[in-house]
Amino acid sequence: MRRPDPAAVRWMILAALLVLWEVVPLTGALPELFLPSLSKTLTVLYIDRHIYFAALLVTLYEVALSMLIACGLGILIGALVGGLAMLRELLLPVFSSLYAVPIVILYPVFTAWFGIGSSSKIAFAGIYGFFPVMLSTAAGIRTIDPQFLLAARSMGATLPQQITRVIIPASLPTVFAGLRLGGALTIIGVVVAEMLTASAGIGYLVTLNRTILDSPRVFAAILAILVLSIAYYMLARALESRMVVWQSAGRRQQQSSSRGEPVAVPTPAAA
Amino acid sequence: MQHLANVSQLRAQAGEAAIEVEGLSHTYAGANGSVPALVDISLSVRKGRFVVIVGPSGCGKTSLLMMLAGLRQQTDGAILCHGQPMPKPDPERVGVIFQEASLFPWLTTLDNIEFPLSLRGTSREERRRRSQAMLSLVGLEGFGERYPHELSGGMKQRVSIARGLVQDPPVLLMDEPFAALDEQTRMTMGHELLRIWSTTRKTVVFITHSLTEAVYLADEVLVMSARPGRIIDHIEVELPRPRTYEMMATDVFGRLRDRIWQQIRKTA
Amino acid sequence: MTRTQIIVIRLVLLALVLGAWEGLPRAGIINPLLLPPLSDVLVMLVDLIRRPMVQEAVAVTALEVIVAFIIAVPIGAAAGILIAENEYIGDICKPMLFYVFSIPKSIFLPMFILVFGIGFQQKVAYAAFTTAFVVLMSAAAAVESVRSDHIMVARSYGATKTQILFRVYVPSMLPILLEALRIAMIFNFTGVMIAEMYASRTGIGHLIANWGENFQMPQLFAGVIVLSAVAIVFNEAVRALEAKCSTWRT
Repeated sequence: MRRPDPAAVRWMILAALLVLWEVVPLTGALPELFLPSLSKTLTVLYIDRHIYFAALLVTLYEVALSMLIACGLGILIGALVGGLAMLRELLLPVFSSLYAVPIVILYPVFTAWFGIGSSSKIAFAGIYGFFPVMLSTAAGIRTIDPQFLLAARSMGATLPQQITRVIIPASLPTVFAGLRLGGALTIIGVVVAEMLTASAGIGYLVTLNRTILDSPRVFAAILAILVLSIAYYMLARALESRMVVWQSAGRRQQQSSSRGEPVAVPTPAAA
Repeated sequence: MQHLANVSQLRAQAGEAAIEVEGLSHTYAGANGSVPALVDISLSVRKGRFVVIVGPSGCGKTSLLMMLAGLRQQTDGAILCHGQPMPKPDPERVGVIFQEASLFPWLTTLDNIEFPLSLRGTSREERRRRSQAMLSLVGLEGFGERYPHELSGGMKQRVSIARGLVQDPPVLLMDEPFAALDEQTRMTMGHELLRIWSTTRKTVVFITHSLTEAVYLADEVLVMSARPGRIIDHIEVELPRPRTYEMMATDVFGRLRDRIWQQIRKTA
Repeated sequence: MTRTQIIVIRLVLLALVLGAWEGLPRAGIINPLLLPPLSDVLVMLVDLIRRPMVQEAVAVTALEVIVAFIIAVPIGAAAGILIAENEYIGDICKPMLFYVFSIPKSIFLPMFILVFGIGFQQKVAYAAFTTAFVVLMSAAAAVESVRSDHIMVARSYGATKTQILFRVYVPSMLPILLEALRIAMIFNFTGVMIAEMYASRTGIGHLIANWGENFQMPQLFAGVIVLSAVAIVFNEAVRALEAKCSTWRT
């Protein structure tokens, strides 16, 4: 028998999971408390759709603002630290040592300072996303072929021209990778923060409903978050491949021997 | 192509040197004091000549080329290109081709060729016209809209050459441009280069490791010693033009190669 | 820049930061209730370390971290090696992994709580769960990083599978594995902290969350300092070990 196409297998696995989600609770193999059936979860999600929608909006708002911090600062500082040898030698080891600290322990500080509203989430998720984006950008900046600058200089490019016509186009793939990473991390950061201490947002709904043991509503919130993060990932990937056609072609040659993402660059989600 | 070498200009300056180097030396600061890289280099390249520089690794030939291009400044001595010094790169006087084509992967072939013109704000139509002309000159018609990752190594180098020629500089400097290519492609590219050169009659200074390539391409071969680099021999290559592959099998060719090799061996 | 210059500048920067932490609250420029001066925090730190309640919490957290790690690493490694070695399974699973990594795994915390209740098991299970994925990814990358030409040379000299495993794979992978373990520990520690802060009655994470809720800022900062110090020291120790083992690595 010919082996089925891997993509088809993935869809089958997904379908199987969904079916199990529906069937297993109904047969009583797992109590409804642990795992409400898929249909129940979706029903509840539909009934309370206004609540969930409002919560999603809050979450998205927080994600957007913290992305500004994480990606904006992260890419800028990452480019500077990665590009300028002096800064790099001085600061990069410091930053990558700081990365070892679980940022989540700072969250109570932010709630003490900013309250349990959106500001503390934005501050926390912003910092949570900042370090990996900065480190990733710093690493990516260094992959720009120095020969490009030599060629540009030999063609008489002035310094501003070198920056705008060579360095910026050459660093686009790195920037896009940073945006994708930053978005994923800020979503995680915001969700964790909302689950811990909050008064609004989709993570808050998870905690709220858990404490009143309303499992279907808990899982409805979980489902919403799943959809959000997967949607973001797909969107980011689609944008990235559209923008950076030439780089993905170059990368394709490397993928036969190694993964697309190197281990050394911190991947999202401890949380 | 109206921007090709001006015939009247050529006549007026016939016999004048395109490149003159006088007493050039270069030392740089190493870990244990100053290191001499080049010592007392003097040479003169007449217009329209194809000069090849050969030498062992590390002898400083690339440094010399960088100085001729204005990308680096020597510590001592003078360089004149068409009568003017080279304090910084001047792509209208000197085109530089490196070992790595360094085409910008985010630009198409034509955009890559046009790049030097776009730095100077040349009009779009003018840029297109000249880059198309260069594309034809290097034999890559029809590949204008391709991206570098779609081209082979030899094709990339052709684009690099086209880019170096697009501003019609009278002088072309080439630093081992074919070193990264396989031997068969090298031979083809060498032949192509000679065709382009005979059409445009630029002054060419070409660096290579390959003795065969040197004799095949050159009017004159300059042999450099190991570090610190100095010119130890000038060899006139009196083979007729246009050069053919068959010449490589002749006695004359063999003797010229041997002479270069002996010179290099002595210094290594 | 020389090594000493770098170290000096870093020390100066550190001194500036610490000085600001002490000076700004004392001068009242920053509200000392929100950011207690560094000296107060350090005094509190010394006091806390002596308290049995704190020592207990530290012990609980440390145990959770270690147990979760011990569980996660073999499982993650086995899965990662499987994905790397078996092409078919790899083709199926690899694209999924990127999606998996985008998902905030903290959303599964309620599930663990529902199943295990609030306690040691739940926290360990959750932390192991999150860490296993990271280990999986690193293990797969490590296996794939072994150069196929090295393997081919070994095979051409008649090496058996076991020999290739120990004489080519292991030495090749060792530096990567150390780095992977280091990164896995970072994620592991984070996972334990999140679980403790979310729903727990024991552990340092719980204490910190508590102190935060009650605006006990000196205690909170003391806890943050200690945890950060532990994390950094461990990280650097493993880094030093990595450097020792990978002198041959470009």
